[in-house]
Amino acid sequence: MAAAGAAALALTLSACGGPGSAGAGDAPAADALENADGVTVVNFWHSMDGTNGETLNKLITDFNAANEGKIEVKGVYQGDYDTTITKYKAAVQSNSTPSMVQIYDIGTQFMIDSGAVMPTQTFIDRDEYDVSDLQPNIAGYYSINDELWSMPFNTSMPVMYYNKTLFEAAGLDPEKAPETLAEVGEAANKLSKTNGGPAEFGFNAAIYGWLLEQEIAANGALYCSPDNGRSGERVTDYSFNNDTAVEFVDWWKGLVETGVAGNTGRATADAQNAFKSGTIGITLESTGALGGMQKAAEEQGFELGVGFYPKIEQNDSGPIIGGASLWVSDEGHSDAEKEAAWQFMQYLAEPATQATWHTGTGYFPISKAALDEPEDVAWREQYPQFDVAVQQLEGTELTAATQGCSAGSMPQARKAAEDALEGALLGGDSKAELTESVEALKTEVENYNNSVQ
Amino acid sequence: MTITKPANPPAAKASPQPDRQTDRGSLRALWYLVPALLVFALFLFYPLGRSVFLSFQGSDLFGRPSGFVGFDQYTRLFTDSGFWNVMWVTLGFTVLTVVPSIAIALALALLLHQKIRGIRFFRTAFALPFAYSVATASVIFGVMFNQATGVLNGMLAFFGLDRVGWLTDPAWALLSVSLATVWMQLGYNLLVLSAGLGAVSDDVVEAARLDGAHGWRMQRSIIMPLLTPQLFFLLVTGTIHALQSFGQIHILTKGGPQDSTTTLVYSIYEQAFANNNSNFGYASAQAVVLLIIVVAVSAIQFGVLERKVFYR
Repeated sequence: MAAAGAAALALTLSACGGPGSAGAGDAPAADALENADGVTVVNFWHSMDGTNGETLNKLITDFNAANEGKIEVKGVYQGDYDTTITKYKAAVQSNSTPSMVQIYDIGTQFMIDSGAVMPTQTFIDRDEYDVSDLQPNIAGYYSINDELWSMPFNTSMPVMYYNKTLFEAAGLDPEKAPETLAEVGEAANKLSKTNGGPAEFGFNAAIYGWLLEQEIAANGALYCSPDNGRSGERVTDYSFNNDTAVEFVDWWKGLVETGVAGNTGRATADAQNAFKSGTIGITLESTGALGGMQKAAEEQGFELGVGFYPKIEQNDSGPIIGGASLWVSDEGHSDAEKEAAWQFMQYLAEPATQATWHTGTGYFPISKAALDEPEDVAWREQYPQFDVAVQQLEGTELTAATQGCSAGSMPQARKAAEDALEGALLGGDSKAELTESVEALKTEVENYNNSVQ
Repeated sequence: MTITKPANPPAAKASPQPDRQTDRGSLRALWYLVPALLVFALFLFYPLGRSVFLSFQGSDLFGRPSGFVGFDQYTRLFTDSGFWNVMWVTLGFTVLTVVPSIAIALALALLLHQKIRGIRFFRTAFALPFAYSVATASVIFGVMFNQATGVLNGMLAFFGLDRVGWLTDPAWALLSVSLATVWMQLGYNLLVLSAGLGAVSDDVVEAARLDGAHGWRMQRSIIMPLLTPQLFFLLVTGTIHALQSFGQIHILTKGGPQDSTTTLVYSIYEQAFANNNSNFGYASAQAVVLLIIVVAVSAIQFGVLERKVFYR
C-alpha cells in the first residue's frame, strides 16, 4: 500500500506543473549563482536550539566550507516556531525577509497564501530534480495540489512511550506494547497507584492539540473539510468533533476522572518531565523527544519502551508526519540568492546529511536512502527504539487523512482544539466542547479565506 | 571658539528685560531636553499613537492595517464574553498579588526591625527573592507545582491528602500564579518598607514610649502612619506592575487552563502574536483599554488615598 502511494506521489511530483504553473515568480536562471560577483549570502532563520541547533550549525559549517568563496549560509536562531512565523510576518511587512526560513508544518498554507515565497517545485521542475528519494509521506504533507511548496527538513511523528520497568512491576509484558486505546487504557489501569499499581499515574500526556490531530489521522478520519484541504479547495470547516475525536477525548477523560491519568497541563515539557522522572506508565510524544527520553531513562534507571501511536482499532492509516520545512523567499531577493538557497536545500536533503541529522537529533530523515547510510544503520542498532518510528511510517498509507489538514487558520484551530480537550478533561462533555470549538472557528476560517481572496 | 564672541555672555547679563531672559532660558532648557524627548517620542509617544491608530483599523493576514473600521474593534471587545472574563481575571490577579505582597512584606519588615542577634542574616534572606528574575522564579515554581512530580503534591501525599492540580485546575491556577508572584514581589516590598522603618526617627518612638505607647499600639498609631508614604508608593507601583505582569503567566500557564489566568496583558499578546494570530487591531483596542485602566487606577489612588498619606 505504502509503496503504491510512494510511486504515485513520485509520479505526480515529477510530472506535474510545467514552467510557470507554480504560483509565484519564475525560477531564476540556473547560472544565476555562477554569474554573481563574490560571495552570495543566504540568511537562514530557524527554530533549532539545544542539540538540534548544534547539529544544524555543524551542517551549515560543512556546507559553507564546501562552497567557500561562493555561498555563505548564515543561520540565525529566531526562537520557537510560533515566534519565527511571527517574525517572518513582520519581515514581509517591512520588506526584510531572510533568504530562507524554517516554518512549522501547520504554517504551510499560510506561507503559500503569503505570496512572499518561491515554491520549491519551480526549482524541481527547472532542474528535473529527482524527488524519488524523498519519503513519500513527508513530501505528501508539504505537497498542495501536487506541488511541493517547501523542502521538508526536520520531521517527526508521534509515538507511544512506556516505562518497561513499571510494566514489569505491574505484571504486564514489557516486550508487548499495547496497540489500541482500549489496550492502553487497560494497561494504564493496572499501572496506576489508584488501582494499587506501581506508577503515580498509569497514563499522562500534555494537553496538546497535535495529539488529537494525530489520533484523528491514525483512524483515517478528516480534521477539516473538504478533504483536509488537500483537493485544491480551501478549507471551509473543521471536523475535529467527529466520532473518532469524541471517542479519543472520552477515553482520555475517563482515565483522568478515575485518577488513572494525570493532568500536567498544556506544556509538553511538563508532561515529558513527569514521564522522565520514572513515575508515569505511558505517555504520547513526538519521536523528536526520544533522545531526551532515552537519556533520562538511563539516569533514572528505568527501561524505555517505544510503541506505535495507539489507534481506536487496527487499520491501514497512521499518524501525520509533522515537523517543519524550508521556504525560499521570493520578492526582494536576487536570483543568485534564491539559487544559493536552493543549493543549500539540496545539500540538506542528501542522504549523508540526513543521516547526520537523524542520528544527531532524532528527527526522521526525509531521504529514504539515509536509512541505509552506515552511520544511520549502526545508530539504529544501538537504539532499536528508533526503528519503531521507521516501521510506523512505512506502515502508514498516504491519504488525505494522513497528509493532515492544510488550512491557513490551522494554528488557531490547534489552539481551539486544545481548549476543547482541556474543557473535556476538566469535566466538560467531550462532544459539546469539541463542537463549540469547531463552531467558534467558523468566523476565523471565514476571515482568513476572505483576507486571501 | 569662545574667543570669537567674548561680548555675548556679559551682554545677556546686562539685559534690562528679565522676560526675554527667561524665554531664552526656557529655550535653552528645551534644547537640553531634546535627547530625552526624542527617545520618549520614538519609544513611547509613537507606539502609543500607533496603538490608538491600529485600534481603529482592521488587520490583514500579516497584521497590516486593512482600513478604517471605526469603533468595530471596541464593539467586538465589549460584546465578547471572553473579554469580561479577562477583566475579572485581571482584577483577581491584581488584588491577589498586590494586597498580600504588601501585607506580608509589612509583617516581615516589622519583625525584621527588631533588634535580635543575627537579624542581618534574616534581612538578607527575606529580601533575596528580589534578586531572582521573573523567568527563573517561574520555572522553579513550575517544577514545584507539577501535578505528578511537584514537591507541593508530594507534601500533600505525605499527609495523606488528595493531589491538587495547581496549574491545571481552573479553580487553583490563578491562586497558584498569584502565589508565585507574591513571592517574587515580596523581596522588593520588604526592602522598601525596611528602608521606611529605618527612617522612622528614634526621637518620635522614644517620645511615644514615654507617653505610654507599647507593642501593637506603637505599631498602629506611630509606626504605620509614618510608613504611609512607602505603603502608598508600593500600592501604586504594585498595582501597575500587576496589571502589566506577563512573564510568570507565560511560563506557568500560558493563560490556561480554560483562560483562568488570561489577564489583559496576556490576552493582548495572544491576539497579536500567539498561534499565528495577527489581530493587531483587536489587540490594540485592548491595549488602549489597559492604558485607560492604568491611568484611572493611578488617578484614583492619588486622588483618594494620597490625602491619608503622612508626608513629613
